[in-house]
Amino acid sequence: MSSQRTSGKRVNPRKIAHKFLLYFFASILLIWILLPFFYTLGSAFSPSSEIGKRPTPFWPVDPTLDNFKIVLGLPVQQQDCSAQGAGIDLCNTAEINISVQAILTTMWNSFYIGCLVVGITLIFAIFSAFSLSRYRFAGAKFFQNFIILSRIVPGLVLIAPIFIVLRVTNLLNTSWALVITYVSFTLPLAIIILKFYFDQISSELDEAAAIDGANRFQIIFSIILPVAVPGLIATGVLVFLESWGEFFFSLVLTDSLTVPPLLAGFLSLQTFSWTLLSAATVIAVLPPILLTMVFQKYLVSALAAGSGK
Amino acid sequence: MNIGSVNRRGPNLWLSNRRFGALLIIPSAFVLLVLLVAPAILTIFQSFYNVPADGIGIGEFVGLSNYVFLLTNPIFWESVYVSIVFAIIFISLSTIVGLFAALLLNQSFKGRFFLRGMLVLPWACPWLIVGVIWKWFGDGEIGLLNGILLRLGIISDYKDFLNDPNYAIWLTAIAASWRQSCLVGLLLLAGLQTLPRDLSDAASVDGAGVFQRFWHITLPWLRPSLTIVTVLNVIYGLMQFDVIFAMTQGGPSNATTLLSFLIYRQFFIFTNFGIGSAIAVSLALLALVGGLITVKKVYKKIEI
Repeated sequence: MSSQRTSGKRVNPRKIAHKFLLYFFASILLIWILLPFFYTLGSAFSPSSEIGKRPTPFWPVDPTLDNFKIVLGLPVQQQDCSAQGAGIDLCNTAEINISVQAILTTMWNSFYIGCLVVGITLIFAIFSAFSLSRYRFAGAKFFQNFIILSRIVPGLVLIAPIFIVLRVTNLLNTSWALVITYVSFTLPLAIIILKFYFDQISSELDEAAAIDGANRFQIIFSIILPVAVPGLIATGVLVFLESWGEFFFSLVLTDSLTVPPLLAGFLSLQTFSWTLLSAATVIAVLPPILLTMVFQKYLVSALAAGSGK
Repeated sequence: MNIGSVNRRGPNLWLSNRRFGALLIIPSAFVLLVLLVAPAILTIFQSFYNVPADGIGIGEFVGLSNYVFLLTNPIFWESVYVSIVFAIIFISLSTIVGLFAALLLNQSFKGRFFLRGMLVLPWACPWLIVGVIWKWFGDGEIGLLNGILLRLGIISDYKDFLNDPNYAIWLTAIAASWRQSCLVGLLLLAGLQTLPRDLSDAASVDGAGVFQRFWHITLPWLRPSLTIVTVLNVIYGLMQFDVIFAMTQGGPSNATTLLSFLIYRQFFIFTNFGIGSAIAVSLALLALVGGLITVKKVYKKIEI
């Protein structure tokens, strides 16, 4: 085979086999990752009439933007009422359309709740992480272990007292119900990650500033934080993602205030079509996916820091 | 650590460093005390009481009877069994696929960075959306999974996997590992990239084959990362709720009713706070024990 070649580079058959195997496995991994996304995206562009074909097509023959238009509340061309896809009457969807359009409102809710959670979490976490990173005091070790332990016991098991207290205080179905509960599980995460970043900043930096007469708060705000910006970004994005995707608390403490319970609610509507839901899903998943892609580099190191230690 | 200056008190220091450090964690400590410790204690308390359905007041003390009720109830044991089966499938799949992805992405080939970028996508999806996507992907009427299996000739007709008790647990666990395996891949890849090149090069010169190198060098090097990843997998496996909620609602006939879902039902469908709290305490214990055992086992196994 390749050993027969007389001119040019000698091609090692083992190397070719190696290359072939690499690309073969890479394709398998890529299919495993992308196939479910691909199906969702395809459905989002499908007219309802194409749903239910067998075998299920990989991509719609006649792609349409109608699903996205309906979800976003844009006018849709007159539909053919005789076409019935997956058992829904296409001309009697006004009610469904209104409920699906709630996706934009809930995305706004998810967004500002996420921002509040990030802000509050960071303010609390910065001081604690700085303290754990720089000072030794009684209880520091205990506090740190407690934080790690709190990541093992999930929020779900604490729901009963939280629910009861929020009901008594009339906070059920408000954004505050979610902000308060989300901070309880994002705060430990943020402290662990920020401490990891602060640990990497040499303490000679703070000592030099102290000699120059900076007080300890000035050291935190004008020396440490500017250096720790990548860590702050990574922590903020991670906290935002957790808040954006949280489902259980939002389900039981509010009436579909944020995106995940709204999507879950669509699932149980018998008349709801998968084409509309897939369009809504695509829209809902865009913000976290964009955020992750933009901040990928920071996130991976933050994830490693947050799960380690 | 700033050991040198622990007790130094400069002209502009109004508190010793010790006190200042403690002062700084007070806000967070207070928040966590109110939001985590207090609910945890209350939950443990509630598990010993017959809490009224309206949740006002704690009700009548019933000792261990909530736990006795659970331990003699076949539905609870079925749920424990289902939770453990789900967790085992989830943990193994996530770890194996994740390790495979990390080893692959640690090789140099064209498109490697593109593939690594793709690996983040499932992780970026919230758990509930993972459930939504996979519910329809695996749907018995219109799902692409059936379409592919039919084309490949593996099935002769569409099959409603999520309505079949034997398949539902597999499909939900696979869906959950779809996301988790990507996180595992990213974390293990980060661990692999710190492996010094000389180490595997030296072994390679000594005549060690691919598998020997993997077994004697790569795997021991990954031990700390693998421990962390496995603990994460155990926690996420035992805690899974969102994917189950979206895909099966615990069905068909309790085949996917994980403990987390049983808690949800007791609290919000039957409003039985006492029993619900007892299940919550059991699940928290299971997660703690599971996490701790993993740390020990994984450390030992790979040391050999």
